[in-house]
Amino acid sequence: MSDATRSHKAKKFLERLPKKLSRQIVGSLVGCVHCGMCTQSCHYMLSNPEDPTFAPAHKADQLRKIFKRHIDWTGRVFPWWVSAKSVFTDSELEDLKDIAFGKCTNCRRCTFNCPMGVDFASANRTLRGLLVHVGVMPEGVAVVSKDQWEIGNQMGVLKEDYIETLEWMSDELSGELGDAGARIPIDVKNAAVVYSINPREVKYDPRSISDAAKIFWAARENWCMPSECWDMTNFGLFSGDDDLGGAAGRRLFEKVMELKGRKLVISECGHGYRSTRCEAQNWAGQSFPVDMESSVITMLRYIKEGRIKVDKAKNKESYTFHDSCNNARSCGLTEEPRELLNLVAPDFREMHPNRAENYCCTGGGGAMSMSEYTPRRLKSAKIKAEQLKATGATVVVTSCHNCVDGLSDLIKHYKLDMKVTQLVNLVAEALVIPAKVAAPAAGKVLALAGRTIMVVDDEPDALTFFSALLADHGARTIPVSDPNEVLKAARKEKPDLITLDISMPGKDGGEVLCELRKNPETEAIKVCVITGRPELRKLIYDRTVRPPEGYLDKPVDEAKLLTNVRKILELAHEDVPVES
Amino acid sequence: MSESALLHFAQHRLQEAALLCMAVVYAFRIRWLLSFKDARDKQAPTGRGVVDPESGKYYSLANIAMPWAMESTRNSPFFYLQFAVFHLGVACAITLSFIIPYLPGLLELPPVVKAIQGFTAAAFVIGVGRMIRRIAVPVMRLISTPDDYFSLALLTVWFPFAFLAAPNDRGGGEGVLLTFFFLTAFFLVYVPFSKISHYLYYPFTRFWLGRTMGHRGVFPMRQPVHPR
Ligand code: SF4
Ligand code: SF4
Repeated sequence: MSDATRSHKAKKFLERLPKKLSRQIVGSLVGCVHCGMCTQSCHYMLSNPEDPTFAPAHKADQLRKIFKRHIDWTGRVFPWWVSAKSVFTDSELEDLKDIAFGKCTNCRRCTFNCPMGVDFASANRTLRGLLVHVGVMPEGVAVVSKDQWEIGNQMGVLKEDYIETLEWMSDELSGELGDAGARIPIDVKNAAVVYSINPREVKYDPRSISDAAKIFWAARENWCMPSECWDMTNFGLFSGDDDLGGAAGRRLFEKVMELKGRKLVISECGHGYRSTRCEAQNWAGQSFPVDMESSVITMLRYIKEGRIKVDKAKNKESYTFHDSCNNARSCGLTEEPRELLNLVAPDFREMHPNRAENYCCTGGGGAMSMSEYTPRRLKSAKIKAEQLKATGATVVVTSCHNCVDGLSDLIKHYKLDMKVTQLVNLVAEALVIPAKVAAPAAGKVLALAGRTIMVVDDEPDALTFFSALLADHGARTIPVSDPNEVLKAARKEKPDLITLDISMPGKDGGEVLCELRKNPETEAIKVCVITGRPELRKLIYDRTVRPPEGYLDKPVDEAKLLTNVRKILELAHEDVPVES
Repeated sequence: MSESALLHFAQHRLQEAALLCMAVVYAFRIRWLLSFKDARDKQAPTGRGVVDPESGKYYSLANIAMPWAMESTRNSPFFYLQFAVFHLGVACAITLSFIIPYLPGLLELPPVVKAIQGFTAAAFVIGVGRMIRRIAVPVMRLISTPDDYFSLALLTVWFPFAFLAAPNDRGGGEGVLLTFFFLTAFFLVYVPFSKISHYLYYPFTRFWLGRTMGHRGVFPMRQPVHPR
C-alpha cells in the first residue's frame, strides 16, 4: 500500500489526527510499556479470557500504531521496530470502528489500573472522534448524534411531546397529592433550581420525572424545568465529537442563564452528569457561570436540612448499589449516593468491587445504541452478572439511566432475579407526605376501567402476568399468544391498546405492527411494544409504518407498566381511592 | 591496579558522551510532548470539598509506591514485588556506572557490593521470567513489539555484567568492566529511542491524570470497601 492508494476517508482521518491530540492523549500513547497490568481490569477481557484481542493495551495499540507511524518520529524512522502502522483502506477503518465502539465502553477501569497513568479510555474517545469525523461509526451513533444536533436531545423527543409529558405528570402529581398546586413549573425565572433530565425519562420512564417533582414539591423548592434545551445528556461524550459535546452543553447552560436559574440540578445519569458537570465546558472551550449539582446531592441535602422527611421502612427489599463509571471514575460521586441510600433503605448490601473499582454496567459508552454489538456486550457482561448475583440483593440501585438499561438487559440475559431502580424512586417512595393530603382508601375507581387491552406474547408467563395485572386495574384484557391471530382478534375486539412482544415464533412483532397499521380497521389502535430483546428494536423502528406509541424493556414491573399504559391511553389518574 | 586507556575512555568519555546524547534527545522529547495543547479542566472542581484538588497530583505521582492503591497491584503482590526489584536492579546498575569511576572507595565496603549484586542478580532472574512471560502468555505476545523484546533482553544481559563488575576487581582482566561500560553506554544512547524512555513520560502522564482526577474529587481515591 502506498500514500497514493490511500482511501479518501483514511486520508481525512490522518489529516485530523494531529488536531485531536492533546498532551494528555500523547502521553497515553507514548507512555505504555506493554506490561499487561491493565489486562485483568477490563470486563471484556475478564468475560472472554480466551480472546487476547480484548486486552486494553492491544485495543490501545490500534491507535498507538497509527500515531507512531505519523506523529512519533521513532515510528516514522523505524516503523517495524515499534510496530508502527498506517491506515490505508476503508476496511481498516471499519476494523478500528469495531474496536473503538464495539470492544470498549470507555469505562476507564483500565486507566485506574495502569501504573503509568495511561488513560486508554480518553485515547479511545479520541479514536471514536476521528472515526466519526470521517463518517465511520455504528448506525445508532449516527442516528442519536443527528437527533442531538437537530432536535436538541438524543432521543429526538419533540417539544410538544416533552411538554405534554410534563403536563401529564403534573396532573398525576396533583391528583396523587391532593394539591392542585403540586405541578411541574416550566420556565420560571430566578428559580433556585432548574432541573434537567435525560430524554429517556420522557420516553420510557416518566415516573422518574414525577418522583423528582414530588420530592421538589415536598421540599417546597422554588424550581422549574426548562421548556427547551432540557437534555442534560450529551452524545458527544460517546461519539468523541467535541463539537457536538460543546454545542449540547452550551445550549443547556445558556438556557439556565436565560432563566436566571440559581442552580442547575442534573437528574440521575452518569454520562449526563459527567458531560454537563465535568466535560462540556472543556469541549465548548469556555467556562459558564452556572452552578451545578447532581440530584443525588440535592436529595441528600433536603434530607439533611430537614426539608423532606423519609421513612426508610417503606422500601422493603434488599438493595445493592452500582456505581456508574462516569460518576465514580470521572466525577468522584461515590459517597453521596451511599449515604442517601442508607437513609432511604434499611437493607443495603455493598457490591464488590465498588466505587471507582466497580465494573461497568457493560452498557456504557453508548453501547446501548449500538445493536450490532449486543451479543458481544452481553457475553462480556458475565463478570458483571456474577458480581450482581454475589450481593444476594433483590434490587440494584444506580444513579444512571444508561446503567438502568445496561443492567436490566444483562439481568434478563443471565436470568438473575433482580430489579433495577434509581435513588429518585426510592426517595419518592420513602417520602413522608404531610397528613393533610393523605386520602382515606375505602374504595377505588380503577384507572383502566372501561378500557380493552389486548396482550400479545408467546411466553405463557408473560401473557398471564400482563393480563392479570392490567385486569387488576380494571381493564378488559384479551390474551393472544399466536402472532398470526392478532390482526383477526384486533378487528373483532377493537381494543384501545395492544401490548406487543417482538420476538415470537412464526411472525415477529414488527410484522404484526405492520399488519395492524396497514389495515384501516386497526391502524388507529395504540400499540405498546414490550420486549426482552432490545437489540430487536430495529424490527419495529426500521418499518415505514407509524411507530408504536410506547416501548418498554422487560423486565417490566407493575408501576412501569401502568404508568406507560396510562400515558398512552391519556388517562390522568392512577387508581383513585374514594370515600365510602 | 591502574586501568587501561580503553577502560578509562569507557568509564569517562564514553559515559559522558552517552549521557549527553541521552539528555539532548530527552530535552527534544519533552519539548515535543509539551508542544501539544494542554487539555485542562475548565469547570469548577467536583467532589465533596474535603480534600484539596491539588493533592490529586501528588497522590497520582506517589501511586507507584502504594501497591494497595490499585487493584492490579493489590491483587498481584508478587508481580509488584518483581516490578520493584527489577527497577531497583536498574537503579543499582546505573549507580554502579557512576560509583566505579567517581567513588570507587565505596566498593571496598562489602555491604555496598553485596547490595548491588543482590539486586542485579534478582533483577536478572526477574528479567528472564519476564521474557518467558512475554513470549509464553498470549496477551503479552500480542502486545509486544520488537522494541519490547530487545529492551528487556538488553537489560537482562546488562544485569549479570553489573553483578560481575560490582567488586571493581580487575584481577582477572578488564573484560567484564569494559563490557559493562560499553553496554551501559549503549543502553544510555538507546533509551530515549525505546520503550525504556517510559520513565521520562511517567511523571507527566501521572501528573496530568492526577491533576484531572484531583480536580474531580476522584484522587486521592476513596478506597473501596472490601468483603469481610
Ligand atoms: S476503558 Fe473499560 S472497556 Fe475500555 S478497555 Fe478499558 S477497562 Fe475495557
Ligand atoms: S498497564 Fe498501562 S503500561 Fe501496562 S500495558 Fe496497560 S496501558 Fe500499557
